[in-house]
Amino acid sequence: MFGYKKNNDSGIHSWPVVIFIILLILSILFLAPTFGVLLSSVKTTRDIALGELWKIPNELYFGNYVEVLSNPAVGQYFVNTLLVTVPATFASIVLGSLAGYVFAKLPFRGSEILFLILVSGMFFPPQVILIPLFRLFNSLGLIDTLWPIFLVHTALGIPICSLLMRNFFSTIPAEVREAAILDGANEWQILTRIALPLSLSALAVLATLQFTWIWNDFLWPLIFTQSDEKRTIMIGIVNLRGQYTVAWGVQGALSLIASLPTILIFLFFQRYFIKGMTMGAVKG
Amino acid sequence: MRGLSWTPLIKASMERDKRLWRIVLLTPPLLVFSVLIVGPLLSSFYYSFTNWNGFSSSYQFVGLSNFQKIWTDRLFFQATVNTIIWMVSALLLPTLLGLVLALLLDSKVRGGKFFKTIFYLPICLSAIVVGQIWIWIYQPNWGLLNTLIEEITGERFRYAWLAKPDSALFSVIVAWSWQQTGLSMVIYLAGLTAIPSEILESSASEGATTWQRIWYIIIPLLIPSTVVVIALSVINSLKGFDILYIMTGGGPFNSSDTLAMHMYNESFKKYLIGYGSSISVVLFVIALIIIGIYFRQLRKFDQIYGQ
Repeated sequence: MFGYKKNNDSGIHSWPVVIFIILLILSILFLAPTFGVLLSSVKTTRDIALGELWKIPNELYFGNYVEVLSNPAVGQYFVNTLLVTVPATFASIVLGSLAGYVFAKLPFRGSEILFLILVSGMFFPPQVILIPLFRLFNSLGLIDTLWPIFLVHTALGIPICSLLMRNFFSTIPAEVREAAILDGANEWQILTRIALPLSLSALAVLATLQFTWIWNDFLWPLIFTQSDEKRTIMIGIVNLRGQYTVAWGVQGALSLIASLPTILIFLFFQRYFIKGMTMGAVKG
Repeated sequence: MRGLSWTPLIKASMERDKRLWRIVLLTPPLLVFSVLIVGPLLSSFYYSFTNWNGFSSSYQFVGLSNFQKIWTDRLFFQATVNTIIWMVSALLLPTLLGLVLALLLDSKVRGGKFFKTIFYLPICLSAIVVGQIWIWIYQPNWGLLNTLIEEITGERFRYAWLAKPDSALFSVIVAWSWQQTGLSMVIYLAGLTAIPSEILESSASEGATTWQRIWYIIIPLLIPSTVVVIALSVINSLKGFDILYIMTGGGPFNSSDTLAMHMYNESFKKYLIGYGSSISVVLFVIALIIIGIYFRQLRKFDQIYGQ
């Protein structure tokens, strides 16, 4: 790949080694920051404050993990984050599938424009609607509950979910739908029994992306919750930074634990991910 | 279907069915979208013409004075420039790096799956975690970056990357790119698997060099993937508020302030909701221009490649 070698046999054989070495160096560079979190989680906050963070430790200190896992607030943060992330991921995919199905299989006059408006919803900065949303939820008495976070993430996920599901549904041949209709199926049955089962990889892509985005979100929980019992895990990590003291080691341990769900989700859906991206997203 | 002779009656009833299903299926998503996105967007426009402070029950219409204030707000100008720098570099760096990684990984190299997971890993981390790690990397006295520079040059090096107006924004962009590269890599990898191998083989047999193959065949065929990468990058870069908030808070001396940050500060720290809303409106207009350009290019692309 690198160098302007003629594409003959002798050239090909030396490449894998070169590419392997390049990838190895890049992956070490890429891994270094993540490794930093790992290091911080097995050091005392005092050591980190003394500038020992990037030194390989002689002995591992597990006190941070003990402290995190024995802290009842941390469990609450996890429960809250799950209570928001799982339903919002699910709801946005369901709503996106409904819209995507209509745009792909039941187009009507003006549906292109409507689709464009919906999709452009994913391009504008969410901060723009922050103030009105706060006012809306405040008047409904929902501030400092998990509802606003769930609702906002559901709504913000609709554009990307509609886009991907529409692209995916359009790859299903029209004959399939027509045959089902002749057999007496209605649109709901076609969507749930034919279209969705044929789109599992798109669903996997959306589940991964939405779960990751919502789980990691910081802005909306920051705005919509106040009491510690309603905070999510990302706010929890920041809250460990007290006014004057920073429990860095504990923060590192919590950061690592908080990243596990999203890593597991990716590893779990990885196989479908590439396939889903190929079929749904890339065929514009 | 064409072989069957449909009576007009059945056709009409099917058309009626279709109309009913459109309403049934589209109402829930459009309702949620309108109430939670379109409605608030419109009220943001409304607040931008008022002097509302966020908690008092009364406020006045102030016409265009919020927008006039924008023109005299030196910080606003700085924030706009930074927003543009942020969006452009947050788009280019991860896209290019992701493309290079995808091309390298597509060569069926040993351990490809392992490398892919490593490059994707940062996407799984939150802005909070990423921000904290990179604060430690940029730490002037014992941070990883300065330690490495000291090791290599053998001289004392204590540059405070995040505390200097010259480097603060750029330093955050590097951290951001590190995190986002994995996503564009995955999408490009998907795009690469969709390229028929016959095309590559026939070009190889006609004596094209690898470089020519990448430049004239692979990259043009990856345009659909690029469309997706750009869309996701723009979405994500607009979410870039979190990492800036953690790493610099817009500082030092507002040198890494973006419009979203400026809006946040004016609205929630100074309680100038009216003025903050007018900043949102400008931010929205900028986003609208970008959407417009994007869709125009998309349409042009559709015409050329005929989907």
